[in-house]
Amino acid sequence: MNPVAVTLTPARPAAPPPLAPRSSRGLGERLSPYAYIAPFFVIFAIFGLFPFAFTFYVALFDWNPIGDQVFIGADNFTRMFADPRFWNAAGNTLSIWALSTVPQLLLALVLAHVLNHARLRFALFFRMSMLVPYVTSVAATAIVFAQLFDRDYGLLNWLLGLVGVEPVDFVQSTLGSHVLIATMVTWRWFGYTTLLYLASLQAVPRAVYEAASIDGAGPWQRFRHITVPSLRPVIIFTVVTSTIGGLQIFTEPLLIASGAPLTCGAVRQCQTLTLFLYEQGFGEFEFGYGSAIGVALFAMVVVIAAINYLLSTRIRAD
Amino acid sequence: MTLRSPLLLAAAAFALITACTPGAGGGGGGGDGKSFEFWSFAAINQKSSVDAYREKHPDVDIKLTEVGTSTETAQALTTALAGGKVPDLVLIQGDNLPKFVQQPQNFVDLRTLGADDIKGDYLEWVIEQSVAEGGEVLGIPTDVGGMAVAYRTDLFAAAGLPTDRDEVGALWPTWDAFIETGKRYKQATGKAFTDNAATSVFYQAVNQVSQKYYDGDHELIYDSNPEVRTAFDLGIKAATAGITAGQSSFENAWSAGMGQGQYAAVAAPSWMLNSIRSNAPDTAGKWDIAKIPGAAGNWGGSYLAIPKRAQNPQAAWEYIKEMQSPQGQLEHFTRSGALPSTPSVYQDDKLATAKDTFFSDAPTGKIYTDSLLGLKPFYIGPDSATIGQEFLNSITNVEQSGGDPATAWDDAVRNIKTAIGG
Amino acid sequence: MTSTQTRSAPTRSTAPRLRPPGRVRWWTYLLLSAATVACLFPLYWMFVVATTDTATATQMPPEIVPGGNFFHLAGLVLETVPFVQSLLNSLAVAAAIGVGQAVLCALAGFAFAKLRFRGRNALFLIVLLTMTVPTQLSVIPQYMIMSELGWVDTLQALVVPGLASAFGIFWMRQHILATISDELVQAATIDGASTWQVFWRIAFPIVRPAAFVLGLFGFVTAWNDFLWPFIVLKSPERYTAQIAIKALQNSYDVDLGLAMSGSFLATIPLVALFVLVGRRMVAGILDGAFKG
Repeated sequence: MNPVAVTLTPARPAAPPPLAPRSSRGLGERLSPYAYIAPFFVIFAIFGLFPFAFTFYVALFDWNPIGDQVFIGADNFTRMFADPRFWNAAGNTLSIWALSTVPQLLLALVLAHVLNHARLRFALFFRMSMLVPYVTSVAATAIVFAQLFDRDYGLLNWLLGLVGVEPVDFVQSTLGSHVLIATMVTWRWFGYTTLLYLASLQAVPRAVYEAASIDGAGPWQRFRHITVPSLRPVIIFTVVTSTIGGLQIFTEPLLIASGAPLTCGAVRQCQTLTLFLYEQGFGEFEFGYGSAIGVALFAMVVVIAAINYLLSTRIRAD
Repeated sequence: MTLRSPLLLAAAAFALITACTPGAGGGGGGGDGKSFEFWSFAAINQKSSVDAYREKHPDVDIKLTEVGTSTETAQALTTALAGGKVPDLVLIQGDNLPKFVQQPQNFVDLRTLGADDIKGDYLEWVIEQSVAEGGEVLGIPTDVGGMAVAYRTDLFAAAGLPTDRDEVGALWPTWDAFIETGKRYKQATGKAFTDNAATSVFYQAVNQVSQKYYDGDHELIYDSNPEVRTAFDLGIKAATAGITAGQSSFENAWSAGMGQGQYAAVAAPSWMLNSIRSNAPDTAGKWDIAKIPGAAGNWGGSYLAIPKRAQNPQAAWEYIKEMQSPQGQLEHFTRSGALPSTPSVYQDDKLATAKDTFFSDAPTGKIYTDSLLGLKPFYIGPDSATIGQEFLNSITNVEQSGGDPATAWDDAVRNIKTAIGG
Repeated sequence: MTSTQTRSAPTRSTAPRLRPPGRVRWWTYLLLSAATVACLFPLYWMFVVATTDTATATQMPPEIVPGGNFFHLAGLVLETVPFVQSLLNSLAVAAAIGVGQAVLCALAGFAFAKLRFRGRNALFLIVLLTMTVPTQLSVIPQYMIMSELGWVDTLQALVVPGLASAFGIFWMRQHILATISDELVQAATIDGASTWQVFWRIAFPIVRPAAFVLGLFGFVTAWNDFLWPFIVLKSPERYTAQIAIKALQNSYDVDLGLAMSGSFLATIPLVALFVLVGRRMVAGILDGAFKG
């Protein structure tokens, strides 16, 4: 999935296109535009829209895929709001999101600023290196980071041991497991985000920086007063995409606690909302309850998108 | 860079690869009546049985898939039953069985294939668990676990503990004595005595009861049954005694720790022997097996079932009939150590006098059949697996994540209520 | 009305290089080198563990140079799961999605940019709105549909839903608007070309680089996808490489290096691809379009 999941941006009105349907042209020609866009709509209708709508329907049932389906109204939702596992998963998701988004964005800001230098050597090498984590799969990332952070045999705990710190059981502790997952997420995305920021920075005319230099602005002032403000729209955009991505974190928690994968540990210390959905749907086979969790996730996405819309409108008004 | 050639290339590659993939519906041999597809879980060594069967029936093509853990196998089976290709034969672990028994319409009633003729061969309390309310027989038991403790003689000797299996068994008539032994070991060596408290203490003790999570009328009593509470408190006691390695059973580090002597004793039902062998091949001869603390009991054991939509039910049934016959199970025992569920072979020399060299020639047949003597069967219900898991989680939380032992019981009961919607 | 986010991206790449002035300080290189090491070290570590036996991998202090156990472990990987098949499956799925997305999105983007038809603006708005539907959250009904279609445990269950990309249509439309003039299209039409000929002979060759980058991102995303294949694929000979990694982690008799070795083998093809065409992915992001 592209990190670009939600943009509540109105379509840009385009100039009238040149190929108007004319009566002189054949029926096939007049219908051809529809044929060109039809694959998208057909596929989306069957595999996107219908399942999406059906989620709301299934959520109203006690739906056992190998047994009975009983209509129970809003019971799944009542149960969900009273379910400490749901709130635990929501809390974990929020915590992992915060722990991954903040460092990721700060890192990306700084790196984009230094990469945006006219006379930087090896620029392509640095840029490409930063995209390597993005092409590494989440599954492979989870396996290698779980090993690096392992309590008994991990490199990190060995290094901590050198400075006299007792081994940390990252997976078994709540904060530790969140840090571990957040590290993986940050590792995967900070380079990508850096390049997004760099793209925006390259649109800032060089004259602006030159003028600032002449006025005596040092590197920090240039960063603070030119780089950061000009990146504001794209920062908001990446916060939104990382939030929606954060709500869907699944593979990392599934793979780091190999003994209790579906709960990410004995006390669900790192179970995220999407993993909770999976556990209820494909571990417990409560399709109805799992769908209710899906509806809740959707509601959260809507709220985030709305906040994004409000924020970006305000920024444009500034 | 032209796009047209990659386009053709990709289309060709996709066609080629999907064409080369073995057919979706057919499974092993595609409905020739003799071949079939078999889902098992890993590390249970069903492969040895399959190989033996292949040898006797070279015309039969068996496609064996080791799906993953027993739980993952049950989950994969459920998704398959819900709408996918089902295997012809599937291995279901005892804890996962009740949920399937509740939905008998998904499986072939084995009575229609002749299960009534062989039903009497199996321990009654074992095969009963696979009989649905309407009397349908859904599974044939492949093995029972029994109970025992596998321990490292070299590590025991280094700690000044006895190494002879009878003397070791005498160290721990009760679970309290087991925990005390652990403390002695820890004091002498500074190392962990057993792998974890949840499985090696609680899960054993809770399977030595007369009633577990349900009473005789199939009503839930997990929160009021004093036997369950006692077992749970033993688990907490072990978790807080500092004698465990904090390695959850079947996790990677647990397997690695086994080979490295991170812990000296582990609860080992008969089917576990195979895991120890494959996890720690370098420790051959350093293990022995002693009797379990407490009373008679059983952990685990599995069943073979045939899904309703199976394409080759008859072939799967032929396999069950031959490999799960008393003789068939006896042979599987000699290959892998899993105890037969057919009591008629318990007196057979091949079992009664069997010795396992990996475990210092321990008389495994005798040890495990003895552990079943006087066993009081209890009802295992649809939520038993979930309830057990929550108790395990609560103890693990105390042991590994610094949970409060004082509230562990209440936490567990609350989590169970949430999980089973009670 | 025009928002910052829909600013036509490609025009920017033709602008003169505008960057801050001044000397590059040494700490800039230090910082960038540190970031580079952070990006590459986990891959190196993957290789280290994938080449050592369990005894070495579990010793303290850890071994930090590769061992000689790679082929042994790779052999074990192949024994445990049909790994070559799963690499081929990943390749088939990712290639089909990458190429399919590139072509279908270019086609639809062309229609939205250069053809006039009833309901065009409304339909394009719908395309944009579909981006707001988080399809990952409806995996349960998606699974039910696949089971109705009989597609559970097939590769087309991965490919077909992956072909629709609203973002891809949006992106290709932007590129076509920016690079293909109306006059060019009109001239071709007057010469009697059909809309298909205009697309395939004129428009597509011009936007091919953009379509290629789109396809690359589609390829990488499909190769690395986990949740949906994890739900829908059941038999080992259907696994994609990612699911094979999970299966390696599952097998009880665990060799610590096993899952790592599988991860390494599954990562190598993408890193190789990245070395070849990574600069175009970087350029694609810097084009600004992937900002959305």
